Amino acid sequence: MFKKTLGWIDERFPLTVIVKHELTEYPVPKNLTYWWSFGFLAIFILGVQLVSGIFLAMHYKPDALLAFDSIQHIMRNVNYGWLIRYLHSTGASAFFAVIFIHIARTLYYGSYRRPRELMWWTGLVLLLLMMTTAFMGYLLPWGQTSYWGAQVITSLFGTTPFYGEDIVRWLRGGYVVGDATLTRFFALHYLLPFIIIAGVVIHVVALHWVKGSNPSGITLTAGDNIPFHPYFTIKDLFGLGVFLIVFCSFVFFGPEFFIESANNIPADPLHTPQHIVPEWYFLPFYTILRSIPDALGGVIAMIMSLLVFAALPWLDRSSVPGGALYRPGYRILVYLFFIDVLVLGYVGTQPPEGVSMVVGRVATFVYFGLFLLLPIVSSGEDRRSRRAGLPSAAERLIREEQEELLRSQHNQRREGDKMPEKRKRSHLRGHK
Amino acid sequence: MVRLWVWLAVVMVILNSHSAVADNDGIALKKVDFDTTITARQRGAETVVGVCLMCHSLKYVKFGDLAGIGMSPEKIQSLLTDQQFADPLLSLTPLAVRKESFGTEPPDLSLMVVARKRGPQYIYTLLTSFYIDETGRTNNYLFPGVKMPDMLGYSLTAEGSAERAQVEAQIRDAVSFLMWAADPNADERREMGVYVIVYLIVLTILLYLMKRRAWRRVR
Repeated sequence: MFKKTLGWIDERFPLTVIVKHELTEYPVPKNLTYWWSFGFLAIFILGVQLVSGIFLAMHYKPDALLAFDSIQHIMRNVNYGWLIRYLHSTGASAFFAVIFIHIARTLYYGSYRRPRELMWWTGLVLLLLMMTTAFMGYLLPWGQTSYWGAQVITSLFGTTPFYGEDIVRWLRGGYVVGDATLTRFFALHYLLPFIIIAGVVIHVVALHWVKGSNPSGITLTAGDNIPFHPYFTIKDLFGLGVFLIVFCSFVFFGPEFFIESANNIPADPLHTPQHIVPEWYFLPFYTILRSIPDALGGVIAMIMSLLVFAALPWLDRSSVPGGALYRPGYRILVYLFFIDVLVLGYVGTQPPEGVSMVVGRVATFVYFGLFLLLPIVSSGEDRRSRRAGLPSAAERLIREEQEELLRSQHNQRREGDKMPEKRKRSHLRGHK
Repeated sequence: MVRLWVWLAVVMVILNSHSAVADNDGIALKKVDFDTTITARQRGAETVVGVCLMCHSLKYVKFGDLAGIGMSPEKIQSLLTDQQFADPLLSLTPLAVRKESFGTEPPDLSLMVVARKRGPQYIYTLLTSFYIDETGRTNNYLFPGVKMPDMLGYSLTAEGSAERAQVEAQIRDAVSFLMWAADPNADERREMGVYVIVYLIVLTILLYLMKRRAWRRVR
């Protein structure tokens, strides 16, 4: 019965072919660490946000007079409304945490390098879309932080030369953030996730075309690849279990942690809160914005702090494969970058004065400085490797892979992706 | 494994710095533990309805909801003046009168404990910071010039006296009730959370064993 149905479908839709190509025969380097699980986790949490968001939208009222009350209606009267809302509010933070780790892994292991530049760029676009979605979603509870956060961020567009005021008014639908802003943010907050899904599809299609990177940065031969299913389905599911334990601990025991207390006060256009601190995931970029003394300069610096990532494939001029593993110079840069981002994030929580202002400026300078240093450091590494050869571990791995390739009848991993029965068995022990 | 611990330590430091930042605002808040038993909440509800409701409202809580802290219908009935069970806990003093007395509408208390940083401690400290200044007026150390009068008479009691201890206990109970009012499902949430986490831990262990089994075949 099952076979017959499947046969019927396969005649009309390449179901079996897709499952084979993308799952049971999709080759994945077997040396991946758990840092490679975060892409899957990001897709999972996107699903959580989507489902919980749709259920919230069934009870939420995008109206300046009703929005705040409707959240309390969800919290108190809707069956398990509190659970849906806390999943969504905690999920936003979890999504950013997972994505930041995903990006950090890409940076550390140099996964943005050839041939994965398009994945890197689509990923960057996804990050920007995600930030926009999060920012718009944050207005919806219509609390004080929601309101003044939106007021401050939309006013940034006022620094645009000549058309600043018009753009701000156009974005807000009025002179200040108000009902018109709330309804349009709601509409876009509902729309953008679906565009993100489309972006994820492109990201994953590109991944399945170029195949995944691995810690060494050296493309491994078929023998060192294993099928996604069952090896990585079970590995990612275990990773998901660990993630869910952490995530659910926050949802059930500390969901207030991610909700700013001032946001439990209804939006009041006449009363500005003392200091507005953005959500933690915006803090590093917020510090960069504040660190530039000029308003327009600050906005440009903040935008550049994200867009500069797009230049990485060009800035990295080394021919030594991969990222930090075989490249000590690059490794130092990457670690400095991670520390710098944490410093920027911490400074963002402090009032912009005195020491924290100075630290913020230095950290901003270091942030961009590291990108500028990368071409110099990487070409230095390149010259050194031409003179002294690759690190012995990389050298050995490349030699092994070449020998493997010579022995292999199936030496083109990217064509067809089929692993012939013989080869597939060779790395399995006691498997009949 | 060592690396995992290092990462966890880093995460903990970051989380801690987040809460440390949230804390250092204004004068030090008093550290008190609040009784979360239903009897304490019920006593608190009586204080809140009897005293606070003269000026404040709790618009998201209905009288009928008080069954959630174990109040019997008769008990709830005794708290009603001319409201019904389905009515929210609104102040009976007309808004115009309250506005005239305080210059502004006294804030709604439904979400007060989550609307301030370390809300329960904040409210407790605020209510136990009243004193009589040299001009003979009541003032407040935490919130100088606060419009709210010292309704529970904390400033009239002598330090270390039995009366003061009684007022402090009354304030603690009122805060316990407000903590419930801000998030009536918190108890259910934590209880459910225990089952969820235990389930997830068992599931994750099984997944780990399956993972090990599957990967045993890989060289």
